[in-house]
Amino acid sequence: MYGGGNTFEGIKTDSVAQEDPQKLAAFEARIARGEKIEPTDWMPQLYRKQLIRMIEQHAHSEIIGALPEGTWITRAPGFKRKMSLMAKVQDEVGHGQLLYSAAETLGKSREEMIDDLISGKSKYSNIFNYPTFTWADCCFISWLVDAGAIVNQLANAKGSYGPYCRALDRICAEESFHLKYGHHCVIYLAAGSPKQRAMFQEALNRWWPPMMHFFGPSDKISVHTEVLMKWKVKMGTNDDMRNQFLDMYVPKILELGFTIPDPKLKKNPDTGRWDYTEPDWDEFKRVINGDGPCNKERLEVRRIAEERGKWVREALKTSKTAYVTPLA
Amino acid sequence: MNDQALKELLYKLADDLLILGHRNSEWTGMGPLLEEDIAFSSMAQDKIGQSHALFQLLHQLGEQQPDLVAFTRNANQFHNAVLVELPNGEYDFSLVRHFLFDMADSLRWQMLTNSSYEPLAQLAKKIQGELRYHTLHANTWIKQLGNATEESITRLQGSLSKLMPYALGMFEESPMEAALINDGIFKGEQALQAIWKSKVEEVLSATQLAVPDWKILVPVYGGRRGQHSEHLQPMLDEMSEVFRIDPTTEW
Amino acid sequence: MKSLDPRVNRLPVPGTPGKITPKIPLDQFGSYEVFVQPKEGKPFQHEGIVHAPNLEMAFVLAKEAFTRRFTCVSLYVTDTRDVFVSPLTDADKNAYDMISDEGVKGNDSYEIYHLAKRGKQHVHAGVVTAGSPEEAMWKARQTLNTKQVFNIWAVKTSNIRKTGEGETILWDTLPEKKFRDAADYKGGDKLKEFLERNKS
Repeated sequence: MYGGGNTFEGIKTDSVAQEDPQKLAAFEARIARGEKIEPTDWMPQLYRKQLIRMIEQHAHSEIIGALPEGTWITRAPGFKRKMSLMAKVQDEVGHGQLLYSAAETLGKSREEMIDDLISGKSKYSNIFNYPTFTWADCCFISWLVDAGAIVNQLANAKGSYGPYCRALDRICAEESFHLKYGHHCVIYLAAGSPKQRAMFQEALNRWWPPMMHFFGPSDKISVHTEVLMKWKVKMGTNDDMRNQFLDMYVPKILELGFTIPDPKLKKNPDTGRWDYTEPDWDEFKRVINGDGPCNKERLEVRRIAEERGKWVREALKTSKTAYVTPLA
Repeated sequence: MNDQALKELLYKLADDLLILGHRNSEWTGMGPLLEEDIAFSSMAQDKIGQSHALFQLLHQLGEQQPDLVAFTRNANQFHNAVLVELPNGEYDFSLVRHFLFDMADSLRWQMLTNSSYEPLAQLAKKIQGELRYHTLHANTWIKQLGNATEESITRLQGSLSKLMPYALGMFEESPMEAALINDGIFKGEQALQAIWKSKVEEVLSATQLAVPDWKILVPVYGGRRGQHSEHLQPMLDEMSEVFRIDPTTEW
Repeated sequence: MKSLDPRVNRLPVPGTPGKITPKIPLDQFGSYEVFVQPKEGKPFQHEGIVHAPNLEMAFVLAKEAFTRRFTCVSLYVTDTRDVFVSPLTDADKNAYDMISDEGVKGNDSYEIYHLAKRGKQHVHAGVVTAGSPEEAMWKARQTLNTKQVFNIWAVKTSNIRKTGEGETILWDTLPEKKFRDAADYKGGDKLKEFLERNKS
């Protein structure tokens, strides 16, 4: 899964003025031809930095995203759910592994990325800072958060950076199981006992606001974002992604007889887009900046995992003398 | 064929795999290296899958549905060795348990490929590849950490001494052992234990870890008869927390 | 830490909460390139990397990282440093045109990989015998240069940890692991039954 709504502010190298115009023209021509960029190609600093930031955040979201669903890994009801959830959470770790590798081809080591995650310097998807109180919360994530992630990932898979596209192709293929599994879980809750139905309705009520935050605030279209779109780093606006998600999943939620906790939510026949209550962006910012219900726990669990694994890694210290970036 | 003896054998196999698969799955998302996190989780999934297959065999022999059997019994109705229910501890503890258990498990299933109970022999043949990976993984890790730093060797040695009496408990004989052997269902715990010891010694002798002095070790028995440590019941309560909200519904 | 996750409640707390010890260089080890053969008769292709302390461990870890989903009949890994890489080309430029005559003296075996399209995987193209990776590229230019490629890799066969003869059984049950397959989660009937029930 993937945290949507990347914000691209705060990077110093936001100008391409210092780049060699000839190289820049060749680079842009390559993208315009529909050819992907590979790690050893020349690329503008801004392109490199934004991609590292984006892929790294995506990787962190997978690793941290394994925790809220992992909360139920020892309690999944029945053999089938138990094995599915184990495999699903495992896939999230696997996606993190793939994405860190893709980011590494741009020159940032996995060591640095994990350090930046734990220190809070680098962000991950906001939604994983919310708690999973019941089995139904876990099902909500498996179905709908993954659905949102897939909307983002399918778009990004058409981007311009080869290693990221390769990782995303693999991830999207794996995600189809997640989505089906999640929907399957929710259908069974919907068709089950009143208690099961109520469990999911409550989860839906809790998770709807963070789900609307998931795609990020409306983009301010600046010269900066236009460049990133031209370079196929940013593949669509946050609002487009949110609309696509609502188009695809609101009918499926309603079909199951659940209510979505937003009285204003409806498709506007004139614009063809969804109207909804404006999400609370102050809360969004507060949670991103560390003040969400589970931020501390998520990072602390990751810190402990790294700390406990340290002796294992130290014991097997590699014979390599220097770090080598992966090839592709 | 002695049905009673056969069922007891299937139950202990199924319970060992379920409980250890469950324990090992607790590491998912918290392992020492992303790649190892993935590998360890896969092996836990294999175990739960194998356990499920065994509960299906039991179901065909007239026992209840796998989910009901696995998620509603109490600790004293479980036949697993105490070894597999112990809390995970640090990674050395989990790895050493993985090594000791999976070595026995793979040898046991190798024997069962010749079982006179055809469905069991079929299953045994089918999962040889999974078991091959489990022992490749365990042996590689033990050999590498067992030859690495002072800390890793000390940790592994400590876990080996803690776990060895429990590991020997895996081979507690059934009161119906003779029937299993005579019917050609399973060659018996004694035969298994003998090969297991030599294989464990073989791996350990390729490391700086000491081979245990078998004579002075006292096995921890009881698990096969439903006598468990204080750790099993809380683990089962946790595992069935959602299932027990309504065992009659579909989840 | 009081958590909703019972596993977290059981965690020991090493170090000081919130206090970060920065990782030492190579804490995550070096990298190994992973190649997978999806089906009998199909070529191996590059799938990605694993971080591992050595070649054998790389093989063990790559097996689950890259072959637990989808089909696989064989796997191999090699140290990233043991992959010799040609220049990268674009548009209609063939990477083989950048390979210069090295002559061919030695007869070690090298695996040759082609990148046929940017953004796709490097795919196994054939084996050549040569005395060095440079020679191997030159040899490949003469024998495997049939259509335009953007990049060429050469790996000395003896630097590869291949799947051993008895190890092909590792993937025997892979097709049966339906719980990792979207097709195994058909909720349609249950949904229909539920909708019918609601109508009445």
